[in-house]
Amino acid sequence: MIAYLTAIATLVGVRALLTLGLNVQWGLTGLVNLGAVAFFAVGAYTSALLAVGGAPLVFAWPAAVGLATAAGAGLAMVALRLREDYLAIVTLGFGEVLRLFLLNEAWLTRGANGVTAIPRPLHARFAGHYDLFYLALVLVVVALVYAALERLRRSPFGRVLRAIREDEIVAAVAGKPVFRFKVQAFALGAGIAGLAGILFAHYLAYVEPNMFLPQESLFVWLALILGGSGNNRGALLGSLVLLGLLEGSRFAKDVIPFLTGVRLAAAQQILVGVVLVVLMIRRPEGLLPEQPGSE
Amino acid sequence: MPPIAQYVFNGVVTGGILALPAVAFSLLWRLLRFPNFAVSTYLTVGAYVALVLNHGVRASIELAWLGALVVTGALALLVDRIAFRPMRDRRPFSLAIASIGVAFVLENVVRFVWGNDFRSYDVPVTRGMSVAGLRIGRDQLLILGVAVVLMALAQAFLLRTRLGIAMRATADNPRLAAVKGVPTERVIALATLGGGGLAGGAGVFLGLDASIDPLMGGGLIISVFAAAILGGIGSAPGALAGALIVGIMEEVGMLVVPPTYKTAIGFTIILAVLLVRPTGLAGARS
Repeated sequence: MIAYLTAIATLVGVRALLTLGLNVQWGLTGLVNLGAVAFFAVGAYTSALLAVGGAPLVFAWPAAVGLATAAGAGLAMVALRLREDYLAIVTLGFGEVLRLFLLNEAWLTRGANGVTAIPRPLHARFAGHYDLFYLALVLVVVALVYAALERLRRSPFGRVLRAIREDEIVAAVAGKPVFRFKVQAFALGAGIAGLAGILFAHYLAYVEPNMFLPQESLFVWLALILGGSGNNRGALLGSLVLLGLLEGSRFAKDVIPFLTGVRLAAAQQILVGVVLVVLMIRRPEGLLPEQPGSE
Repeated sequence: MPPIAQYVFNGVVTGGILALPAVAFSLLWRLLRFPNFAVSTYLTVGAYVALVLNHGVRASIELAWLGALVVTGALALLVDRIAFRPMRDRRPFSLAIASIGVAFVLENVVRFVWGNDFRSYDVPVTRGMSVAGLRIGRDQLLILGVAVVLMALAQAFLLRTRLGIAMRATADNPRLAAVKGVPTERVIALATLGGGGLAGGAGVFLGLDASIDPLMGGGLIISVFAAAILGGIGSAPGALAGALIVGIMEEVGMLVVPPTYKTAIGFTIILAVLLVRPTGLAGARS
């Protein structure tokens, strides 16, 4: 039971990072990104492949965050000039094309077999209670990112981002280089998603392309909207509630006899979809709404 | 290896099928001002409705097709009433997210009931024809014919009937149309019903041409988007032309890249159109 809870808590931490990343993009700046999973995958695969190739983690991890950030900046520079309904499909498509790339370019990514035996950091030193150590590592990273983002939100930079979200024409008239701020915010969110990918890959010690389906991006959205977009605490709460929802419904299998594996997965996703639609209609501000004018 | 012409012909059939949801998607986008991601999932719904009629009550495929048209249209209307109508005044992206949620629910209801297996209809096996070295299935010709007729009907409806004209007026300027006495909600209901029906019918075609599985429609969303953007949002003939181009490029593209990259071709088209000519081929005003 302890092992199970430790595993769940670790995954909540990874999801929390993804949600915090999307909160920078959508919650703070109002930028649409339906491809959060792409930057998650870039982080996971870059770090995994470098580490398996023998690179020390002190090199692999910054490289992975760097590549995810650069991918975010690149996509943002191409796509952020578009209207937001176009941006929705471009980011969604980007995530899907990246997954196809991971699946097909086996010379680089090992294709459908995935990357196995990804080294786990400090495994020898914490042998015996490694999962607890890793949970602590994830929680420390989440806490640091959270603290940094709270600072950022209150900083002049964060105020500009919110100004852009509310009315980018006003922000531009006030002399802010709106496009540059948007690219920076998008890249920062992508980098945080990349960091989540790193922690995910080295925790499971295995990654494969089908871990990065488009629906994962939808789960990140649900967590953010559930918790309250624009609010970092909401992002944390949303990730926790989402995983509770997904994991809790897993126990339904023990109660309802005809629930096979496929049916259970389908039922979980029906639940996710229904919660998302009902939230959008009834409570778009989430459980913990952003406080107006919170400094 | 078959000649290039074979790929082009297959692309035309794929494009003909794609045209139905693309037109629905494009018109609904213009009318309701958000991209409805659930439209491509209506193909899946239509395919399974016909499957139930075809396998369950032994209806002929023609009858099952009609059934799919009606039931999917009605479902689209129901979805609109429950999910989208309460959100009419929200920003487009909120509705787009809700539509993704709807697509997710529908796809997984199908998966819950029928599982992930590939299925097919009980139809008499027909022998394909061979014309000038091309393999041409009778189904394919029939599908193409019906798709063209449906497109022509949709276009005639939009251009010639009072409700069709009202629909275009609402799409152009909803407030002005409402002031002039156009019953906005009735126009939306009709467009949703018709669009859902077109997509549901296309799902049966897709099931006949390929196979039936829960992802068959949702997996097409990028192609549908590409066709609509290529043709210019809100233009029915544009969406038809866009669908044909996307269909042909996806099939012919398989000569160059592995078939698994099909989605990437649609994505490339989207990016290219948005960056070079955001108003699409038909040049509809945004």
